[in-house]
Amino acid sequence: MNWPLGVWRWCASAAVAALAVCAPATAHAQDAAAYFQQNCASCHTIGGGRLTGPDLKGVTERRDHAWLLRYLPDPKALIDSGDPIATQLFQEARGVIMPPPPLLTPAMADALISMIEAESKLEKSRFVGIQISDRPFTAQDVARGRSLVRGETAQTGSGPACMSCHTLGGVGALGGGRIGPDLTKVYERLQGRKALAVWLSAPATPMMRSVFGRTPLQAEEILPIVAYLERSAQQGGEDTGVGMVTFLLLGLGGTAVGLLAFDGAWRNRFRAVRGPLVEEAGFGRGRARGGNQ
Amino acid sequence: MEVRSQIAMVFHLDKCIGCHTCSIACKNIWTDRKGTEYMWWNNVETKPGTGFPTQWENQDKYSGGWTRTEGGDLRLKSTDKARVVTNIFHHPHQPSMDDYYEPWTYDYQHLFNAPEGQDQPTAIPISMVTGKYLDIKAGPNWDDDLGGSTVYAENDPNLEGLTDEQKGQLSAIERLVFFYFPRICNHCLNPSCVAACPSGALYKRGEDGIVLLDQTRCRGWRSCIAACPYKKVYYNWSTGKSEKCILCFPRLETGQAPACFHSCVGRIRYLGVLLYDASRIEEAAKSNLEDLVEAQRSLILDPNDPAVIAAARESGVHESVIESAQKSPVYQFVKVWKMALPPHIEYRTMPMLFYVPPMAPVMAQRTGGTGDRGGTVDGVSDDLFHDIEQARVPMKFLANLFGAGNEGPVRYALRKQKAVRWYRRMLTVGDVDAATAERMLREADCTPEEADAIYRLTSLCTFDDRFVIPPAHREEAIEMLEDPMEHKQGAGFGFIARPKRGE
Repeated sequence: MNWPLGVWRWCASAAVAALAVCAPATAHAQDAAAYFQQNCASCHTIGGGRLTGPDLKGVTERRDHAWLLRYLPDPKALIDSGDPIATQLFQEARGVIMPPPPLLTPAMADALISMIEAESKLEKSRFVGIQISDRPFTAQDVARGRSLVRGETAQTGSGPACMSCHTLGGVGALGGGRIGPDLTKVYERLQGRKALAVWLSAPATPMMRSVFGRTPLQAEEILPIVAYLERSAQQGGEDTGVGMVTFLLLGLGGTAVGLLAFDGAWRNRFRAVRGPLVEEAGFGRGRARGGNQ
Repeated sequence: MEVRSQIAMVFHLDKCIGCHTCSIACKNIWTDRKGTEYMWWNNVETKPGTGFPTQWENQDKYSGGWTRTEGGDLRLKSTDKARVVTNIFHHPHQPSMDDYYEPWTYDYQHLFNAPEGQDQPTAIPISMVTGKYLDIKAGPNWDDDLGGSTVYAENDPNLEGLTDEQKGQLSAIERLVFFYFPRICNHCLNPSCVAACPSGALYKRGEDGIVLLDQTRCRGWRSCIAACPYKKVYYNWSTGKSEKCILCFPRLETGQAPACFHSCVGRIRYLGVLLYDASRIEEAAKSNLEDLVEAQRSLILDPNDPAVIAAARESGVHESVIESAQKSPVYQFVKVWKMALPPHIEYRTMPMLFYVPPMAPVMAQRTGGTGDRGGTVDGVSDDLFHDIEQARVPMKFLANLFGAGNEGPVRYALRKQKAVRWYRRMLTVGDVDAATAERMLREADCTPEEADAIYRLTSLCTFDDRFVIPPAHREEAIEMLEDPMEHKQGAGFGFIARPKRGE
């Protein structure tokens, strides 16, 4: 067949359009579930109890559908407008304002609400939240957690070690990275084992999500890390400025050593010729005027 | 034997008057562009003096040229394969602007715009780099005619090995002496700039041995600048590429002498073809220090030898080039008369520009005052050449310049010059008797016929005697490289490299 290029193009675009139209409606439900897992599950469960945010089981019965649609895209606006329900939620969450869900289209908001409604009717929703064991942490848990945080043990999902971006008391002589917040007291900040574990299973911040979105932590890794973070919170000792000063001094010292090494390696390099000749002959700066040298 | 042809040069220092006409001719043709202000493809230095850039002959500092290892191999002083990597962001042997000079012009507007004051307004020097007013600290020929002797002349690297007394006499009142040393690219047989270039931008042209720098392949590494011991490759700060003397090849290809040769007032310059044995370059360049001058001379082949002619034809040297080599004045000076010597052969680049060492002033230390006969022809002693040994320019100084520290070749060249002078003096003035003149010729390894030939080529040389330029045969050179039919029916001007428009 020797059709002109234009015909091929037309056929291709027609095929794409047809596929888009025929896409099954169930795809929306799947999208909504994936969206929930990515953006909501770190603060909300469906039937798993309260985390940072309330348990969403039966929320469609508690709240009006229209209100949910108004609240979802921009919770802060609704709180600011003095909406009584929103204000109450705000107080219950002890001042944590729900961040606006990213890239939320009206269609997605609708799909989300339908999905939550459907999940609420199930006996055990898949969004019940990570079920972390209540057993007391052992010394092995803490040791393994420390090893994971420091990156000595690789994560199953091959994500980066916590220490590369975060520091916390006792993690090492030079502390950890400074990109993320100090994690010494994170156990207290997130109010305990369950919330911290859920956060780790589906981190909600854009930075953490982009790093761990494709390489999530596994449940058997989360437990030791939480154990280690709990121990760290108990022992306290947030990274004071001392680590920073050591780091700075080490940097300066390293630079000086490096420069000295370069100076040694290139000791035969070309240095000025004419300038020193003039200086040597006594026609230096002091006598520059008057002579033609 | 692998015969190749090279356009080689001789500068007769005894005739150079240091007028810098050559430098100006070159400057006006080639280096009056932006970024080339400080370049002097041709410059004339005063010796003793530190030259341009300052003390370029001091390879302990500049690290140019080749060095022979313990094992007898040649190594570049400035770089090697490993150091290309370690020095990739900064070459540690680059001369700085201060060792050349900061180019400047004058604020001529100030002559017209200056506010009224007590003094005549002057044109204030202004830097061509920064555009700000400049306190001039150095310039081209800053040490011209012994300018700043205590700084520059006294630090000439060629003074090494001289006694303090000899050094003192060089600048003593009424005995002070200097001569001129014009320099262009030597178009060496074993060029270190070519060897050092990481981009392969430098090459020695096959048909005439001119060393050229391909502006499209140059990546501005500047390895050539460090590697050239004569500091005759320059970096253009505007284009980011290096440039060097091209021996005016566009002029040569049209049968004209290079601009500096053409304009030479003292007629000191000679140009002609040498046939040489390319297969023995490496062996010659690895010779012992004391053998280097002779080793290089041995590379040059007799263009009248039938075996050489046959080998030259076999390796594709054109018949007209062989004929040109037979008439070459350079061949006479370098190979037959052995009067012209390579500059600083100890750098082992095998330079193909040769210098006839200067006799003037012939006045010896002893007779060099103003009172006596001026030493032109001083008394005849048993040793007729004693004044060469006692010349005011010490033999050791010339040997450092032209003999890799060995006085032998320099002494030979000067004795022959002096013998020819006395021979001519016998013929024209008559105050030298024939027996003395003939004895001098004999002792200087010269015959009356040779003395006549030297005299003619030194003093009576016409334009065509000095410049024997072979036909370029560009058509053959091009065919070696590319198919001339490749661009047939092309679009005309700019079809190979599109012209830059709008500037």
